[in-house]
Amino acid sequence: MKSPPSVFVGSALVACLVADLGCHAGPPAPPSTAPAPTRTVASAASPSATTTRPTEAPNSRAPAPASSTPATDTAGKAFVVHEGRESWIDAAAANRSGYTVVDLSDDWTPFIFAEQKAADGTIQHNRYRRVFVGLANDTLDEDGEPLPAGEKNYLELYGIPPSLGILRGRFLADEAQNCHASISQEKLEEVETIAYVAPEKMRAEDLKTARLKRDLEEARHKAHATTFAELAQKDPSAAPKVKAYERRLAEKEAMTEVEKRLACEGMFKKGMRHATGVYDDAMRMAVRRFQQKNMIYEANYLRSKTMDALARPPLANDYAALMRVLRERVVDAAGVVEDGSVEGKTFTNKAGKAVPLRNLVEELTQSAAEQLGLGTQEGAVAFFKRHPAADFRRLSAAVKLPSLPDYYGPDMDISIVIDRGDVWYDLPWDDKGIRRPQPRKHYPSFHLYLKHNGQRILLARWRTTVGGWRAEQASDGYEYFRYKGSDVGSRVIRNIVAGPVWIAPESTPIRSLVKTKSVGSTWQRVVNYDELGPGYLSAYGLVAGYFVQPGRNGKADWDNGIRAHGSSDYLSIYSSEGFSHGCHRLPNHVAIRLYDFILRHRPMRALGDQGMGFARQFLAGDDVFEIRLPSRGFSYQLEPPIPVEVLEGDIKGTQKTPVMTYVPKPGVNYPGPPPPLRDSGEGHGGSTAKTESEP
Amino acid sequence: MKARCAHLFGRRILVVGTLGVALAISVAVWAAGKDKAAAKDKPATAEEITTVAKGDTVHIYVQTVPPRKAQVKWGAKNLGIIPTPRPLTIERPRDSGPLDLVIRASGYLPVHTRAYTFSDSRVAVKLTPPAEKNKLFGYKQEPAQNPDGGPPPAATAAPAPPSAPAMVAPQP
Repeated sequence: MKSPPSVFVGSALVACLVADLGCHAGPPAPPSTAPAPTRTVASAASPSATTTRPTEAPNSRAPAPASSTPATDTAGKAFVVHEGRESWIDAAAANRSGYTVVDLSDDWTPFIFAEQKAADGTIQHNRYRRVFVGLANDTLDEDGEPLPAGEKNYLELYGIPPSLGILRGRFLADEAQNCHASISQEKLEEVETIAYVAPEKMRAEDLKTARLKRDLEEARHKAHATTFAELAQKDPSAAPKVKAYERRLAEKEAMTEVEKRLACEGMFKKGMRHATGVYDDAMRMAVRRFQQKNMIYEANYLRSKTMDALARPPLANDYAALMRVLRERVVDAAGVVEDGSVEGKTFTNKAGKAVPLRNLVEELTQSAAEQLGLGTQEGAVAFFKRHPAADFRRLSAAVKLPSLPDYYGPDMDISIVIDRGDVWYDLPWDDKGIRRPQPRKHYPSFHLYLKHNGQRILLARWRTTVGGWRAEQASDGYEYFRYKGSDVGSRVIRNIVAGPVWIAPESTPIRSLVKTKSVGSTWQRVVNYDELGPGYLSAYGLVAGYFVQPGRNGKADWDNGIRAHGSSDYLSIYSSEGFSHGCHRLPNHVAIRLYDFILRHRPMRALGDQGMGFARQFLAGDDVFEIRLPSRGFSYQLEPPIPVEVLEGDIKGTQKTPVMTYVPKPGVNYPGPPPPLRDSGEGHGGSTAKTESEP
Repeated sequence: MKARCAHLFGRRILVVGTLGVALAISVAVWAAGKDKAAAKDKPATAEEITTVAKGDTVHIYVQTVPPRKAQVKWGAKNLGIIPTPRPLTIERPRDSGPLDLVIRASGYLPVHTRAYTFSDSRVAVKLTPPAEKNKLFGYKQEPAQNPDGGPPPAATAAPAPPSAPAMVAPQP
C-alpha cells in the first residue's frame, strides 16, 4: 500500500523542520577568512583527529567567503594556520589536544576582568569590564560614556591595549596614507634627541644660534676653510662650536619633520593652536599622545625612545603595537609571567639538570606570531586584509606553544619580596627650603619567587616604588609634608581587587580631589574620580593586592593601607625622584600580568563585586563636593594568601628612623603649629577599612 | 465499507498529520529555545558589552537633607526642581555612564555629586548653610595675622625620632 500524499506532507514537514533545526543548531559559520578558509575541520566528536593534526584535516579549498559575512557565531571555534591557510577547529577540543587558545576578540579583557563564576555557578560581573572593553575599542571614555566619533583613546601605556579591531584600522589606514612619504626619515635619524626649549626662550635661543653662526662664519673666513667641517679640522678649538651649531641645526630640521609626522598621524588635538617650531602645549600634547599610542615610557619630550619611534614608518610602529597586543593575549592565555627581567639565573629541572630561566613571555609570543602568520609586518598586513573588522567581534586562534617548565602547576608556591633599596628619612630640603640631594643608587624592586623542589626560583623582578615625603592635608585645612613610608617586615596578600577603588582618606590634599570635566556642552568642576577609580588613572591602577598582617586568635587582618598595585604614573616608578605614599607601584600592564599569574596558579575564590554605599562631602572654595562610590571593585580571595616580605633596604643619611610629625612646607603661612597627625582610620579590618592610605 | 475505510483512513491521516505538525511545532519551539539558550551562553561581543540596550532604563531619585526645593543640573541641562517632600526622579539608560550633578538650594552651599546608572538608586544629598561650612572637611582656618607668629619651618623639621619601630604597623 502506498502512503497517501498527506502522510508525505506531514513527514516532509517534520523532516523539513528537523532539517531546518539542524541548520540552526549545527556548527556555526566561521568569520570571513579569505583567501584560504578550510572550515570543515571542527568537531568535538573527533578532536584528536582534527585538532592535534590540523594539517591532516580535510582541506577542501572553498572559495573565499564574502568579506561582509558577519562573524557573529564563531563562539567555541578557533582557527589554526597551517601552510598559510586558516582552518577552524573546536576550541575546547583544541585545548584538550595541547593547543593554547588565544582570544583575539574585541571583547577580550585580561583574566582579572573576565566574568567569573561564583561557587553556586552564577556569573559574577565586573563593573569595570564594560569600560575596559569600551576604552580598548575607542567606543567609551574613562567614565564609560560614549566617546565622540573619531576620538581615539591610546591607553596602552596605561594598561589598556587597543583591540585587534582598532589595530586593524591603524594598519589599513597607514598602508593607504601617503603623507608619511613627505617626511624625511634621514633628518629624524640624524638626531638622538631634540633639546627642549621653552616657548618663551625660543627667541633668545634663535638669537644665540644666529650669533654662533656669525662667529663660525668669521672663523671659517679667517681659516680659509670652505665648510664648518673643514674649519673644525683646521682649527680644533672651533670644533665644539661647530658641533653645537650643527646639532642645533639638525635638531631644528628634525623638529620640522616631527611636526609633519605628528600631523600626519593626527596627533595634534583639535582646537589647540601650535606655533611652528615651538615646543608649546599643543606640541607637548601631541607628543604625549604619540607616546601613549606607541607605549613609550618617557617624559613628554623628544627624547631617544620617542625620536626612535618617530623615525620609524607608521606601519613598523603598528607592527610593534600588534606584537605588544598579541603578547598580552598570549600571556593571558598561557598564564605565564617570566618576562626576561631576571637574566642569567638557572633552576634545576626534574632531570636534575641546571637550565636557564626562560623569557616565556617573549618566547611564547614569538611562537604564536609565527604560527599565525604574524611573524612579519607583511604577514600582519595580509592578516588584517584577510579578516574584515566584523571577524574580530569574536575570533580565537589555536596555537601549539612551547611547553612550560616543569615547575608550572595549578598550585605554585609563590611569594613576593620587596627590597626598598636606598632609603632616606632626612628632610629633602634645608632651612631655606632649598632641596638637598638624596641620591639613590639602589632603587626599590619587586621580586616574584617560586619555591619548587627545594629551590627558590626568582621568576621576575621589576622596578617599583616606596614611600617618601608627601604633601598631606591636616585638620586645620593646610597642607604639610609627612613622611609616608613603606612598612617593613612580613605581610601577606589575601585579597586582590580588579578595578579597585581608592577611598581617599581625609588627609588627601583637596586640590587633588577636584578636577574640571566637560559635562554635556559645559565645563564643570567635579570630584576627581580619575584618582579614586575604578580606572587606569586610579591611585590603585587597574589592579591591587592588599598587604595585611594575618589576624590571629579570631581577630581580623591588620591592614595598614599598603598595596602592590598598578599605576599610570610610570615616571614615579622609573624616575630617580619617584616615590609613592607607601605603596609599591608597578606599571598597569605588569600588575595585570602579575595578578593574572597569581590567580591562575594559586587556589582562589572570586568574591565578586564589593558593593558599598560610600559618600563623603568636602569643601573646595565655596562649593561642597560629594564623593560617592558604589563599589570597592571586584575582589578575589587567595586561599591560602601569598607571603610578602618587605626588606628594610639601606638607610642613608643621618636620620635613621622616619619623622612622625607634620612638617610645615617652606614658605607657607600657617595659622599655628602643625596639628597632630591625622588618624584617617586606615589600618583596621583589612579590606573593609573605611578609608585607605594614599598609594 | 469502502467509504468507512476511506473515512477511517482519512481520520488516521488526519491524526498522523496532526501529530506530525504538533511534533514539528514542539521540535521547532525546543530548537528555538535551544538557540536562545545557546545565544545566552555565548559571550557578548565588544559591541554588545558597550552599547546601551534600548528601553533598559534606571531611575535615580534625588532628594536633599533637609528636604528643600532644589534645582538639579547636569552640565548645562536643567533636570528639574526637587518637588519636596518627594524626590526628583531621573530616568536614564542603564549603564550609560555616571551623571555629575550640581544641586542648588536657596540658603545652602551648592553640592556637586554623582549618580550612577548601574541600577535604580537614591541620591540623598546633605545641604550645608554657608554659616556652617567650617564643619566641612577641607575648611581652611584663617592664617596667622603675624606671618612670623607661626613656627619657622626649620624649627619643626626633623623632630626627635620616635622610639617605636618607625612606620611598622602595630601587631594585631
